[in-house]
Amino acid sequence: MSNSTNSGPYNYTYIFKYIIIGDMGVGKSCLLHQFTEKKFMADCPHTIGVEFGTRIIEVSGQKIKLQIWDTAGQERFRAVTRSYYRGAAGALMVYDITRRSTYNHLSSWLTDARSLTHPNTVIYLIGNKGDLEAQRDVSYEEAKQFADENGLLFLEASAKTGQNVEEAFLETAKKIYQNILDGSLDLNAAETGVQPKQPMPKPVSNEAKPSDSQCSC
Amino acid sequence: MEKEPSTPEIQTQQNTNLNNPISRKLNKILESRIENDKELLESLKTLSMFFPENSIRSRRNLRSDIEKRSLVLNEEFLGAFRNVKEQLDDISSIIGSMSECSDNMLTRLKQVKLQTNELISKTNKLQNEKKDIDNKLKIADKFIEKFQLQSDEVNFLTPKKDGSLHPEFFKVLEKVRTIHENCKILLRTNQQTAGLEIMEQMAINQEAAYERLYRWMQNECRLLCSDTVEISDFMSTALFTLTWRPILYKYILDEYCNSRRNAIVKLFIDALTKGGPSGNPRPIELNSHDPIRYMGDILAWIHQATASEHEFLRSLFRKFKNNLELESSIKSSLGVIMDGVCRALRVRIEQVLVSQQDTILYKISNLIKFYDFTIRQRIDESCELIQTLVEMYQLSYKMFLNSLNIHATRLLDKIEPPNFELLPNEEFRRTLTLIKDIFDSYNNSVVSVNTKKDDYVQILDCVIEPMLQMCSLSAVNLSAIDMAVYMINCIYSIHSMLSLYEYTDSKLEKLEAQIDAHLDTLCNEQAYFILSKTDLLDAFKIIQSHDKKVRGPLVNVLGMDSNTLKSAMSKFDIYLAAPDNLIVSQFNLLLGSSIRLKLKQKSVRLVSDAYKLIYDAITDPENGYSNSNSIVPRTPDQTLKLLS
Ligand SMILES: Nc1nc2c(ncn2[C@@H]2O[C@H](COP(=O)(O)OP(=O)(O)OP(=O)(O)O)[C@@H](O)[C@H]2O)c(=O)[nH]1
Ligand SMILES: [Mg+2]
Repeated sequence: MSNSTNSGPYNYTYIFKYIIIGDMGVGKSCLLHQFTEKKFMADCPHTIGVEFGTRIIEVSGQKIKLQIWDTAGQERFRAVTRSYYRGAAGALMVYDITRRSTYNHLSSWLTDARSLTHPNTVIYLIGNKGDLEAQRDVSYEEAKQFADENGLLFLEASAKTGQNVEEAFLETAKKIYQNILDGSLDLNAAETGVQPKQPMPKPVSNEAKPSDSQCSC
Repeated sequence: MEKEPSTPEIQTQQNTNLNNPISRKLNKILESRIENDKELLESLKTLSMFFPENSIRSRRNLRSDIEKRSLVLNEEFLGAFRNVKEQLDDISSIIGSMSECSDNMLTRLKQVKLQTNELISKTNKLQNEKKDIDNKLKIADKFIEKFQLQSDEVNFLTPKKDGSLHPEFFKVLEKVRTIHENCKILLRTNQQTAGLEIMEQMAINQEAAYERLYRWMQNECRLLCSDTVEISDFMSTALFTLTWRPILYKYILDEYCNSRRNAIVKLFIDALTKGGPSGNPRPIELNSHDPIRYMGDILAWIHQATASEHEFLRSLFRKFKNNLELESSIKSSLGVIMDGVCRALRVRIEQVLVSQQDTILYKISNLIKFYDFTIRQRIDESCELIQTLVEMYQLSYKMFLNSLNIHATRLLDKIEPPNFELLPNEEFRRTLTLIKDIFDSYNNSVVSVNTKKDDYVQILDCVIEPMLQMCSLSAVNLSAIDMAVYMINCIYSIHSMLSLYEYTDSKLEKLEAQIDAHLDTLCNEQAYFILSKTDLLDAFKIIQSHDKKVRGPLVNVLGMDSNTLKSAMSKFDIYLAAPDNLIVSQFNLLLGSSIRLKLKQKSVRLVSDAYKLIYDAITDPENGYSNSNSIVPRTPDQTLKLLS
């Protein structure tokens, strides 16, 4: 037992809030699962409402806790899932490269994402199921062009093989972190989707209260 | 050479000579080899020394010379020997004294040996004693190590000036606890006094340490009031350690929950009224004009806060064993933390509910139910948040049913006769649309299938009966046909709407039965209409009630003569050629082609049944028609074929 600085998965500097959106069945939950558990869930049930996952990553030497909200793609949950865009620092917008319809719906998802999030929210387009090359229905170039036109980051990934999954989540975080350094994200609020951890008083202190915790409690 | 043969003679000579001493002597002399006799040579040599010249005198004196010489020699020898003897005597006396000496030593050795034995046994004894003492020392050291704190350890238990605790705090505290525990073993030995004393001392140490830990933890908890918290390993260990003092543990947990509850309330109010920095994201209340969005945002916020707090609690409890007890600890703590938002939440929901009606109320109730279900998975079910959600759901659902009832009573308030189209009125259609809306929102709804089923039944019970009642009431003054058409139209509208949705089967069955009842009326009317238009009605009625035994053959009955029948039958023939020309006019107002088809089929059967009755009567010889074939040229089968 020691109060050394490294206390494993409980130590971090920021919390970033993400939301994963996209049509039903495109593999949102599988991407999240692959990212948090490094496993592929072959028969994953439809998400009911929203689900939640976390993982701590490192960006430029900073430990960052990702708090990820995986939304249901089914239309009937749209009214519910819309409320989770609020305060997201990153939005992963997913389509299925083997189903054109999921790609065609992107603009509607994008409209939601733009209107319901902070202007600085990083939106990352993911073409999932990249492992099913034979069934491809949307070309890389076409999606890339869509992403460029709309100022989105873009990658093709596979929740099954894990290819590019890590990258998508990490690059989103990097971009958000960049925004923080640029000063375009205000850190002093819970609602930006980015929360600096509480200035931690070491396992000490009566008098050594951190000066900036002027809390009312 | 000559001697050779004489050898035996010599031998014999020798043998004879042996007996002669002189010869023996001679032989001896002859045989003796002087040069070989060393003694003799030696003697001769010696003799030559003092016998210089072989003179008489000297030969005469030889003996005395030799004797003299011998005497001298003996005297010399004597002298030398005396010397030797004297020396030997000396040696003997020395040896004598040596022996005496060694005797002496031997006795002394014996004595010493005796004394040493004693010493050795003494030494052994001492050595054993030393071993014992060493062991005792070791034991004492170990004992001290096991049953006492080192001075630095005592320091670790004392807080620093700034109130902080030493990193080794828990290790030492654990040691104190172990010592205290081990004292119980001591008490079972004959070390009871020591045991008691140490126990008391450790108890004091322990209480002081727990007290300090408690104070420290209390302070830490009070600092945990920002949006997110990070729980250090030290803190989680501290909480775990406090489980040894259940009361302190409970207080600290309360303290933690309190801090977080306050933080959550503040955050909630901020999210509602202030939003993010420089207003982005916008405050949730900005959307209060859109009740569904507003409620959705509020509940989603609560859900997310619950999830975050759940994570924080997990990290607070991470040093605990993962089991059911821990799970319930987390759930109940989460309940306490989320307590704080209940009042604000309740007020807002109620505010929204009072100004809404029908479908919106319904959607809100669904939304609340969904979040009840979602949040319930993480939190203690008996907590206030869940209670609030349940109550708010019940309230919204009750208000929804109320608003449905209002509709229903409004339906019954304004009873007016239907217009000439015999279609359901405006209010009826509006109510139907409302149900459709509600059911549609169900299709988009987030609640479970079971709820859906129950709700459907309840909603239908609440509305369908009053609707049907209204229809009956508004139709009281209509003719039987008009009434049946109108009722069928109304019921059919309901039926066709409901048939789009699941879980309406039993209701649909009931409605179908009602439609069928009205349809029967219409079929009879239609059949009567055809029979009367073809002038067969009278004949049909007479035949139906005719009793041959009483009144004789039919042919004699008034109005049943061949001619009358023939003319009627020809009209019937015309009908058969174009059956669709003879339809009750109101039937065209019937909604639903399936209903019209059913009506047609049923009435055709009635008509053909009637025809068969007439046909059978006329072709019955007892009835006295001579030319029955010309009256009824078609068999009933042919008629039925033509009609269908
Ligand atoms: N081959 C392949 N299958 C995938 C991949 N990702 C997901 N799937 C499959 O696609 C199906 C749907 O995946 P989900 O993750 O449940 O989809 P979702 O987007 O979460 O769906 P909703 O929760 O209904 O919105 C599952 O059967 C997965 O096994 C992938 O990368 N490759
Ligand atoms: Mg999913």
